[in-house]
Amino acid sequence: MPNSSQANDVASYATAVRAALAALPDAERESLLEDLEDHLAEVASESDLSLDERLGKPEDYAAELQSAYGAGNDLSSTKRNRPFRERTAALLKTALGNLPYSNMRSFLPELRPGWWVLRAYLAVLFLALVFRDGSNLTPIPNPFTSGGLLQIVATVIAIGISVRLGRRALPANRGWRWAVVGLNVTIALLALPTLASMGTGSNDYSYDYSPDPYLSAASAGYVPGVTNIYPYSRDGKPLKDVLLYDQDGRPVVPDKTDIVIDVPNGADGLPIPNAYPLNERHATGDLIMPPRVALPPSQTSMPTPSPTATPSP
Amino acid sequence: MPHSNGNPVDTSQLLKGVLDLAVLAVLADHDSYGYEVLRQLRNSGLDGVGDASVYGTLRRLYQAGALKSYVVPSVEGPYRKYYGLNDRGRSALVQSSKTWGSLTRALEHLLNGRSKANAK
Repeated sequence: MPNSSQANDVASYATAVRAALAALPDAERESLLEDLEDHLAEVASESDLSLDERLGKPEDYAAELQSAYGAGNDLSSTKRNRPFRERTAALLKTALGNLPYSNMRSFLPELRPGWWVLRAYLAVLFLALVFRDGSNLTPIPNPFTSGGLLQIVATVIAIGISVRLGRRALPANRGWRWAVVGLNVTIALLALPTLASMGTGSNDYSYDYSPDPYLSAASAGYVPGVTNIYPYSRDGKPLKDVLLYDQDGRPVVPDKTDIVIDVPNGADGLPIPNAYPLNERHATGDLIMPPRVALPPSQTSMPTPSPTATPSP
Repeated sequence: MPHSNGNPVDTSQLLKGVLDLAVLAVLADHDSYGYEVLRQLRNSGLDGVGDASVYGTLRRLYQAGALKSYVVPSVEGPYRKYYGLNDRGRSALVQSSKTWGSLTRALEHLLNGRSKANAK
């Protein structure tokens, strides 16, 4: 049996080793030093020399222990990854510790329920894009259409499920956890083209051959289906370069077509897209002839069956 | 325990790299406890191995799942924690032995090449 002085020696040596490894995470230190006392007692019982004399200083012993335990070629890949991951985590911690980000970070968990609702909404929106006519996708569907009502009901159900899932803890299994994270990222990524398609829905009607912002679809009044306007005076004379404006004072621009249009420029060099009739050309470059029109009878002049850009007879 | 003795090549570093393999080889014969593993290593000629290195290596191999461990009460003295190879440890030993074989062949080739070149 080890005598009492040996037992004291073992106890004080072990305490010093533990103190030297205080920087290690508790769990790791304990798994390393689990049977340190028994082991040291074994060493001590071999000889009458003190542990200091046999093993060197406790600090050196601790350093050697740590390097043998933490370094070297390992069998387990998770063990091998750990030092790198811990180093990265420590680096991130110091890098982010002093930034306002740390304040925001503590606030982020409170935003999680918001994401649970949003992801459900986005998921249903994506399904709506796939299964419904994507072009009439709107932020909030029209509840007075069967499809829109279905979409709203589906969204409500999806939000319920999503929040219920969100309130559950992440699965302990590594693979499942990554699957959950991957699913969230997938929803976020799918949301991008879905939301983008909302914008393109109205682009089909937009008027955008002019770079001038005041002529964009938002500010210009356009008449769907009408690609050109041929104004005539009451006495049947075809008019040129008539500027048309709608009830809001916005320039009236034609519906978009493939036909090439010669747009006259104003004195400031900016194009005037609402000067009618538009000079339309075929792809070959030939001017498009104006259509025949039937003008109402006039007392001063005969109706012109075929008005042209040239002055009427 | 430092083993530098003026040599710029740190022998303890060299040892550290092969300690896993050495410990696995010792335990392949029969289960053993920390202090006895150290003794066997030293008897085999690995004098430079420190007690803490062996102990730390055993704990790490155990944590990595390569060793089984059990406690045996000893007649005199403290309980002894015995370590032995499990399946994972055995396959690790086989694999590491192969690596070690190719490593030593490569190094011998290198060192022999050098000594022949010096002899000319």
